[in-house]
Amino acid sequence: MDSTTSFLVALVKIAVLVGFLMTAAAYLVLLERWIAAWVQDRKGPNRVGLPLTGLRLFGLGQPLADGLKFVFKEEFVPKHVDWWLYTLAPVVLLGAALAAFAVIPFGDALPELGITAVDSVDSYLQLIVAPQVDVGMLYVFALSSMAVYGVILGGWSSNNKYGYLGALRSSAQMIAYELPLGLGILGVVLMTGSLQIDEIVAHQATTGYWNVFAQPLAFVVFVVAAFAEAARLPFDLPECEQELIGGYHTEYSGMRLILFLIGEFMHMITASVLITLLFLGGWHFWGLTSGPVENWFDAIVRIVILLGKSFAVVVFFMLVRWSWPRFRFDQLMSLAWKVMLPLGMVNLAVVAVLREPMFANYLGGGSMFVFMLINVAVAAVAWIVTALLQPLAADNRPRRAENLA
Amino acid sequence: MKADDPDIHWVEEPKLGLAGKMYLPLFVQGLTTTARHLVSRKVTVSFPDERPKIGNPLIYRGVHRLNKDEQDRVKCVACFLCATACPAHCIDIVAAESPWPDREKYPAHFAIDELRCIYCGMCEEACPVDAIELTSFCDLTGRSREEMVFDKEKLLSVYDQTKDSEPMRSASMGASSGRATT
Amino acid sequence: MATVIINGQELELDDDERLNGIQAAARLGYDIPHYCWHPGLSVVASCRMCLVETGRRDPESGEISMMPKLVPGCQTPATDGTVFVTESDKVKQARAQVEEGLLINHPIDCPICDKAGECRLQDYYFEHGQGSRRADLRPFTSRRRSLGDTVTLFVDRCVMCSRCVRFTREITGTGELYVEGRGAGEEIDVFPGFPLANKMAGNVVDLCPVGALGDKDFLYSQRVWFMKSHDGVCAGCSTGCSITIDENQDRVYRLRPRENPHINEWWMCDEGRYGYHHVHSEHRLAGPQQFDAEARQYVNADWSRLPTELDKKFTAIAKRWPGSVAGVLSPHLSVEEAYLLAKYLRGVDPEATLVLGPVPVEGEDESFPQGFTIRAEKCPNRRGVEAVLEYFTGRVATFDDLLPDVAAGKLHAIWVSGGYRNDWIDEATAESFDAADLLVVQDLFDSPLMQRAHYQLPAAAFAERDGSYVNVADRLQSFRWAIRPPMGVRTEGSLLWQMSAMPGMYRAGEVLAEIAREIGYFSAAVEEIPAVGVDLKVNLLV
Repeated sequence: MDSTTSFLVALVKIAVLVGFLMTAAAYLVLLERWIAAWVQDRKGPNRVGLPLTGLRLFGLGQPLADGLKFVFKEEFVPKHVDWWLYTLAPVVLLGAALAAFAVIPFGDALPELGITAVDSVDSYLQLIVAPQVDVGMLYVFALSSMAVYGVILGGWSSNNKYGYLGALRSSAQMIAYELPLGLGILGVVLMTGSLQIDEIVAHQATTGYWNVFAQPLAFVVFVVAAFAEAARLPFDLPECEQELIGGYHTEYSGMRLILFLIGEFMHMITASVLITLLFLGGWHFWGLTSGPVENWFDAIVRIVILLGKSFAVVVFFMLVRWSWPRFRFDQLMSLAWKVMLPLGMVNLAVVAVLREPMFANYLGGGSMFVFMLINVAVAAVAWIVTALLQPLAADNRPRRAENLA
Repeated sequence: MKADDPDIHWVEEPKLGLAGKMYLPLFVQGLTTTARHLVSRKVTVSFPDERPKIGNPLIYRGVHRLNKDEQDRVKCVACFLCATACPAHCIDIVAAESPWPDREKYPAHFAIDELRCIYCGMCEEACPVDAIELTSFCDLTGRSREEMVFDKEKLLSVYDQTKDSEPMRSASMGASSGRATT
Repeated sequence: MATVIINGQELELDDDERLNGIQAAARLGYDIPHYCWHPGLSVVASCRMCLVETGRRDPESGEISMMPKLVPGCQTPATDGTVFVTESDKVKQARAQVEEGLLINHPIDCPICDKAGECRLQDYYFEHGQGSRRADLRPFTSRRRSLGDTVTLFVDRCVMCSRCVRFTREITGTGELYVEGRGAGEEIDVFPGFPLANKMAGNVVDLCPVGALGDKDFLYSQRVWFMKSHDGVCAGCSTGCSITIDENQDRVYRLRPRENPHINEWWMCDEGRYGYHHVHSEHRLAGPQQFDAEARQYVNADWSRLPTELDKKFTAIAKRWPGSVAGVLSPHLSVEEAYLLAKYLRGVDPEATLVLGPVPVEGEDESFPQGFTIRAEKCPNRRGVEAVLEYFTGRVATFDDLLPDVAAGKLHAIWVSGGYRNDWIDEATAESFDAADLLVVQDLFDSPLMQRAHYQLPAAAFAERDGSYVNVADRLQSFRWAIRPPMGVRTEGSLLWQMSAMPGMYRAGEVLAEIAREIGYFSAAVEEIPAVGVDLKVNLLV
């Protein structure tokens, strides 16, 4: 329980995490471009390899080249901007996105290293920067809400109509989708009884029932809201190129712009990891991860499982981008208030009603199975009812019969 | 145009079934399409390593050429119709009295800015004597903007290079043979 | 009062109006196609394109009896009770057949014909012709021969309307052209040894309804659809013909006469027609220059600083030596520019001397039988500048009146406006200007006087300025710029407007309105100036 050791361990964790995230973001950009190209039947970037060697390596050098390009680009600041806020905005955005990872585990734990730090449990080093934060989920929420400040500051300070419109859209969107996002998590939290993310993962691991099966409605609500929070297509209204020529980062270039872009990507990564942790069982996989971490194999398998799941979600994010067109703003709002919010409430109500009688003191497999069945049934009914009610139908098109009448 | 204009062709969108209203089935359908394209054969080629396959060179719209008549003179009569039709305003012609007794007008200067050109083929369409044609040359590079402004000699040399592989597309309409235009 | 019935509509004509079928129908908006008829020439009714059905309404019974055959509209006078039918199937069929007949021998070489785009044969073919051509298409070229120094004849394109022949006989009275041969072998030609060489020869090109007559000056240089037309006034002589300036991308390609019954009717002389080449001369002054006394050479001046700088210098000299400021108002200036310059100099120095610039005179006035006159006075606006001078100084002092004072060194600051196309001042005269402390010369070309100027200002040519000219017959015509002046050149109007501390851009119309209020001579110009100009004499007690 040496505080210096704890401090050093935390520093190392932060360094590893930030380094990994930055690299991941850079290569996910490449992945995004590849997927975009492949979906459009193109080959995609495949030229840039190792510099000075002529090796192409399928274009894996592209992120490096992109990064260099951004670094060497002119750092142009328009005359009419508020310099301080203009500079602060991308920092806030990226800072918030990175800080959120403090409570997000990126594996289970490492086996005995002989280092005992404050956060070690039974001398196992937890793979999380700040383990056992009781308000973990709240912290993530708070920071993801902070990110919108970056967007609004950027749009506001660049003193540009498009930027400002983008920022306004962003804030409206954030407000609308924080609610379903919260409702989606609330069901999970209620069932687990803890706000700690590692607790939530552990709960799924011990029962073997991932929350995506236990609470499908919450999963759908959360995923849709996460898309909106990350401002990914089909919810990228704050920065749609066709309407707002980039939205809030219209006036940005060079390093400031890349901070924004990385921040955006970091949001998607956060969302993917959260979806994995909260609903897809985190590092758990049946048969591969039973019991506590015993050795290095266990530790690494769990990290790989977590990363693999997150990666799959990221690919899903990218595929959705090329499958769905962008929503209109009124549709976006209707979806949040008329569909996602009620669905989230239904899920919360069901979980709240069932939790006490079914597992007040007991987390057994049988009751979990019944719980899952009820939830799937409720989800199906709720979904069909929603489809029949058609809350999104806004038929304002001209028709011949009406016009001739 | 008014709503009751008889020229309007009204298209009613199909009614959605339950699957459509439920959103998810259609979403999965769309995602499948996307995923299928993800792994399908690519239509682009790695250009300098691989050459694109040009289907029919006679209808391909690449670099222009200026055709020559039977006596190896520029076929163009400097009517400016290509320059008139050109939506990119990339054709510059200076007309002059021709040095040949059987021809009246000819282009003293004829230049196409290949960088400005959008390769729409309107010039070819407009030409009354089939003097300008687009060849299947498609990799066009240069080291300066000036170099990419092709003058008469260069355009005629493109003809010399391509006349065998891509014969002129129509019979001549010169002094001997005739063809109705209207 | 005569009543004509055209396609069932009644048209009232005044008793003194003598119209033919084409003109009467045009009043009601019916366009009767025609080639040979021209309002300024005699009627021959040879092209048969204007064939219409006519008849007569009996004044008593009101019964209409139609003529069995079609008659040419150009030859049929519109008298009381005349009935014209211009849109019947019979008429349309006749037009299509005439058009087909004309095209039998026509080479249809529109792509290389300079008339394409403004050709009546083309237009009428699309409007009235048949859908398909039954005749064979013959060679793509037209035989051509030169008729004179300025005109080329494309023999096969001709439709034998004989407008050009009648023009040389009736308007110029020179009769160089004639119709050679008969029937299908008819051709326009000149007599051997007598080329088409009169001073209005260029008009036959405008008269030609098809592309048979080509202007050598314009031939092959532009397709007509690339050019934009601007109404202008010819600055070649004091007749001040109304003209159309055809321009593309700030380059004048041709001048054409514009119909103006009060001045030039439908014609203009060749001197004016080809008198635009100096506008694009490479010898024009390219930018303002200022004499650097220390370096003893000219350095580039900056237009943005010039107005204040000149104003400062003129004011200083006027303060030091009152009455020592002088201005030479060129007869090439527009009325507005002359007024602004005079007003400015008088504002600086109330005693300023103002004189009329040298009036270039070449030869004698030359009149043609129909009344068209080419004036010896080769400047457009002597009358206008004189009227401005009279208003400011009470008399019209000439350039020669100024010279003794200049030589005596009485005048310290002199502003000379030019705009002359050729040498207008000799070395000896220019030398006397050495005495001036400040000499500002604004002119198109270099001259001995320009070499002595402290400020060399490039001037605008006639097609580049806004303003009004008053011709020798006291008719004022306003015009707008047709092309922008070359880089480095500012029009006199905009410079003087700024020097007079007026707000915004130079607006000639505002200046003219002020002149019309201030100067009695110009009072008729107080309202909008019509395209044919206004006669200033109407308000004068003469």
